[in-house]
Amino acid sequence: MNQTLDRKLRPELLVRLVGVAFFAYLFFGFMLLPCLNTLTSIFNTKNAAGERDPFAVIRFFLAGTMGKYVWNSLKLAVLLVITVNVVGISIVLLTEYFDIKGAKILRLGYMTTMIYSGVALVTGYMFLYANDGIITTALKNAFPDMNPNWFSGFNAVLFTMTFACTSNHMLFLRNAIRGIDYNTVEAARNMGANPFKVLWKVVLPTLIPTLFSLTVMTFITGLCAMSAPTLLGYDSINPEIVRLAGSSSADEAFPQARAALLSIILAMFTIVLLTVLSAYERRGHYLSVSKTKARLQKQKINNPVANVIAHIYAYVLFIIYMTPVVMIIIFSFQTYSAIRLKKLDLGHWTLINFFGQQDFEYLTSRGKYKTRVGSISGVFSNDATLGGIKLSFILSALAAALACVIVVVAVNYMFKKKNKGTGVILEYALLFPWLLPTILICYSYRTFFNSNNVWYVGNMNLYYAQNVRFLIVMAYTVTKLPFSLRMIKASFYSIDEELEDAARNLGSSQIGTFLKVKLPIILPSVLAVFALNFNALFTEYDMSATFASTYGTSYAMVIQAMCAEEGLYGYNVNASGRRCASTVFIMLVSGLILYLVYGVGSRDLGERLEARDRRRKFFEKLSGRKNAKKEAS
Amino acid sequence: MIKLNDIVVKFGDFTALHNINVQVREGEFFTFLGPSGCGKTTTLRTITGFIEPVSGTVVVKDRDITHVPIEKRNIGIVFQSYALFPTMTVYDNIAFGLKIQKLKKDEIDRKVREIARKVDLSDEQLQKAVSQLSGGQQQRVAIARALVTGPAIICMDEPLSNLDAKLRVQLRNELKKMQKDFGITTIYVTHDQEEALTLSDRIAVFNKGYIEQIGTPNEVYNFSKTEFVCNFIGDINRLSDEVAAKAGLDLKKHNYVRLERLHVNVEPRPGQVALPGTVTMREYYGLYIKYYIDIGSQTIKVIEKNDGVRIYEEGQAVEVILDPADVMAYEPKAEETA
Repeated sequence: MNQTLDRKLRPELLVRLVGVAFFAYLFFGFMLLPCLNTLTSIFNTKNAAGERDPFAVIRFFLAGTMGKYVWNSLKLAVLLVITVNVVGISIVLLTEYFDIKGAKILRLGYMTTMIYSGVALVTGYMFLYANDGIITTALKNAFPDMNPNWFSGFNAVLFTMTFACTSNHMLFLRNAIRGIDYNTVEAARNMGANPFKVLWKVVLPTLIPTLFSLTVMTFITGLCAMSAPTLLGYDSINPEIVRLAGSSSADEAFPQARAALLSIILAMFTIVLLTVLSAYERRGHYLSVSKTKARLQKQKINNPVANVIAHIYAYVLFIIYMTPVVMIIIFSFQTYSAIRLKKLDLGHWTLINFFGQQDFEYLTSRGKYKTRVGSISGVFSNDATLGGIKLSFILSALAAALACVIVVVAVNYMFKKKNKGTGVILEYALLFPWLLPTILICYSYRTFFNSNNVWYVGNMNLYYAQNVRFLIVMAYTVTKLPFSLRMIKASFYSIDEELEDAARNLGSSQIGTFLKVKLPIILPSVLAVFALNFNALFTEYDMSATFASTYGTSYAMVIQAMCAEEGLYGYNVNASGRRCASTVFIMLVSGLILYLVYGVGSRDLGERLEARDRRRKFFEKLSGRKNAKKEAS
Repeated sequence: MIKLNDIVVKFGDFTALHNINVQVREGEFFTFLGPSGCGKTTTLRTITGFIEPVSGTVVVKDRDITHVPIEKRNIGIVFQSYALFPTMTVYDNIAFGLKIQKLKKDEIDRKVREIARKVDLSDEQLQKAVSQLSGGQQQRVAIARALVTGPAIICMDEPLSNLDAKLRVQLRNELKKMQKDFGITTIYVTHDQEEALTLSDRIAVFNKGYIEQIGTPNEVYNFSKTEFVCNFIGDINRLSDEVAAKAGLDLKKHNYVRLERLHVNVEPRPGQVALPGTVTMREYYGLYIKYYIDIGSQTIKVIEKNDGVRIYEEGQAVEVILDPADVMAYEPKAEETA
C-alpha cells in the first residue's frame, strides 16, 4: 500500500513544487523585487560632490519644485469625482430611471466610451476641439474673437475625462439601479412621495455602496491619469514620471529618484484609497429582503417644465458623447484635403485613410515642388501604423492569454485548498499589482531590468532592443492579474462542487474532470476575461509610453505620433486621416469583442441549442419556399 | 453486500462519525435518516470514496475498498443538486461515464438509449440541454447517468429535496418502482422521515455522528430504541409525571406516546386510563383532525381519523383515553439525571 501511495504522491508533489516555484518566481521576480528597487532608489541619491546623500530627493521635494505635480493630480482627481459622478449618475438615471423619450438611442450614445477610450478617445476629442479642430475652427469662423486654444491644459483634461470616465457608471450603476425592487418604489409612491422624493429617499440610498466604489475608482483614475494630461498638456504626476524616466542626470538633478518618489507617492495614495474601499465593502451592503422582486418601471416626470429640462439635458449630453464618434467616422472616409481644411466634402468619399497609398507633392524650403511616392497612406498600408497594430495585437493577445492561464491554474488550486494558508497567500500575491499604480510597475520594470545584473533573468538586459517586448508582455500580464482573478474566481463559484464529485464518481481522473467538466463551465467567463483584457491592452497607453522605444512602439504610441505636425517635407502625411481611420478600426474591434462577450458568450447551452433550432427551422422554411416556387413554376 | 466496520471520520478536531457499523444486504433499499449535520451524508460520501475515514473499513462484496480511488469503486451516485453537467446535452451527460470506460461509439449509443427508455426519457429530450428539462426530468437524467455504467450499488443524497411537494410524492413512488425493477442495492440519504418510512426496507437513524437505531420502518417508528429516535420520527407526546403516575408508569423514565395511539371520548377498555380535559385548539387536515387538549398538568396532542367520528369544538370538555401498553419509555441520559 505504501508503494501505491508513493506512486500517487510523486507526480503530484512534482506538480506542486513546479507550481510553487513558478508563482514564487512571478511574485518575487516580477512584482516585489522591481518595486522594492524603486522604493530604495529614492534614497540612492548623490549630492553635487558625488557623495551619497540619501535624503536629497526628499529635501528637493519639500523645497517645493515637485509639489506642483502632486497638487495638480489631486486637483484633477477631486474635480473629476464631482463631474464624473454628476454626468455618470445623470446618464444612468436618464436612461434607466426616468421616462425619457428615445432612451434606447440615448443609451447607445452614452455607451460609446466603452468602444474607444484612452489615447484613441483623447485624440478624437482633439480632432474636434484642438486649436485646429473641426469644432474650434467652425466656432472661430463664427466668433473670430474667441481663444482658439481654449481646449488645452486643465480645462481640456477635465472636460475630456469627465465624459471618458463614465463607462464604469454605465456598467455598475446601471446594474445596481436595475436590481432595485420596484415594489419599494411603489410603496413610497403609495405613501405619497413624488418621483424625485422617491429617488432621493428610496432609490439613491440603495445605490450608495456602488456610488462609493465608483467614486474611489474615479479618484484613482484621476490621480493616475496619463493619456489626457500627456496629449493635452497638463503637468500631473504620471506624465512627469515618464518624462523623468527618460531623462538623464546630466540634464537635471537625480531624475530617476524623483520619478521613483512620485510613483511611490502615487502608490501610497492608491493603497490608502483601496484600503478604505475594501474596509467599506467588508462592512456589508444593503441586501434586498424581497423574495419576489418586481422589475423597475420608468418614472414619468409629471411636472412639464422639469420634463422638458430633463429631455434637453439628456440630448445635450447625447450630442457631447456622439459628436466625436460621428465626426471621426465621417472624416475617416474623407479626403486628405478635406481633413486638413476641416471641411466636409460631401462630393468625395474615400477609403484612402484605411487602405490608400498615394503620392504626395510638397514644397521644399528652396521653393521647389517634390513628390514623395506613396506618402499619403492609410492605416493598413502605412508601415509604421501597421507595425504598431501588429505589435500591439501580438503582445496584447499573449499577455491577455497568459494572465488567463495563470489565473485559471491559480484559482483551481485555491478552490481545492479552500481555507488553507497556501491558497490565501496565492490569492494575495496575485492581487498585489492591484495595490500599485500601473506606472509604478512599469517604471520599476524599466529601471530594474535595464541592467545586466538581474541574475534570475539570466543577466539579460530586458529593456534592451527586442527584449523590451518580453518586458511589455510581462507588464501587461502582471497588471491584468488582479482583474482576471476577480472575474475568473467569481465564475469558479458557479461550479457546483457536486459536479466534480459526480465526474470523479463516473470514473474521470482529476485532470480529465478539470478539462471536460470544469473548464467548459468557466470557459465563457475565461474567454470574456481574455477579450476584455485584450481590448484594454490593445490600445493601452500608460505602459506603452513608459516602455516606448524602437522595438516597443505599440499602437497607442503610433496614434500619439499621429498628433504631431503633419505633412512637413512630405513626412507624416495624412496622419489625421489615419488617426480617424484608426479610431474607427478600434471602435470596430472593441465593439465586436463586446458583442462576442456580452451577446454571444453569455448564452448557455440551452439558449445555443434553441438558437440552432430556430436557424434550422428558418432554413427549412426558406428551402420549403424555394421548392414551392420551383413546383409552381 | 456492504459492510461498514468501525468507521471514524474526523474533520480537523471535529469527529463527524463515531465508530459507524452498518450492514446493507444485496438488493436492499437502505436509508440513512437524521437531522442536518448528523453524519448521514458523510457516511454516504465515505462509501463512495469522497471522504477517507481515519479508521475502519468499507467492504463491498467481501472486498475492502477503503482506499480504492473514487473512480474505481463502481458505486453510482445521484446528488442532491443532481450535478448534471450544464455544458453537455442530456445524451452527453448520460454517456459521460461510458466514454471514460472507452466503450465503442455504437455500444455507448445503445446503452444510453436503453437506459433512457427505462427511465422514460424520449429521444428528443436526449438532445436537449439539461437546463431545458423540468426538475423531474432532470432527476431521471441523474438516475440514468448513475445507472448506465452498471454499478453494483447506487447512492442517493437527498434526491427529492429540490422538488415541490407534489412532485416529491410522485417521484418518490417512481423511485421505489425503479429500484424494484433494476433490483439494485440502494443507499438513500434523507432528513425527511416520511420519505424514509415509505421508501425503505431498513432505516439507520443518525444523530451527532452516531447511529441510534437500525431497523425496518415499523421497528423504528413503533419500537424506537432511543428517546432521540422516538422524538425525531413522527410527532409524539412526552407524558408529564402526573399522567405517568395515573397510568401506573415508571416515573424514573421518560414516557412517550404517539398521537394516533390516543383517542377522544371512547369507552376505555380494561387497563386503559381516561384523562379529562378541554380542547384548546383544533387543526383540521381533512384526512385527520388534530386536537390540542389541556389535561391540567400538560397539553396533549391527539389525532383522530376523519372517518365520521364526532368533531369537537374548542373549549369543549372531553376525555383522552390512554393505553399504557402504547407508551415507549426511556432511561434518562446520565447528564440529565446529574
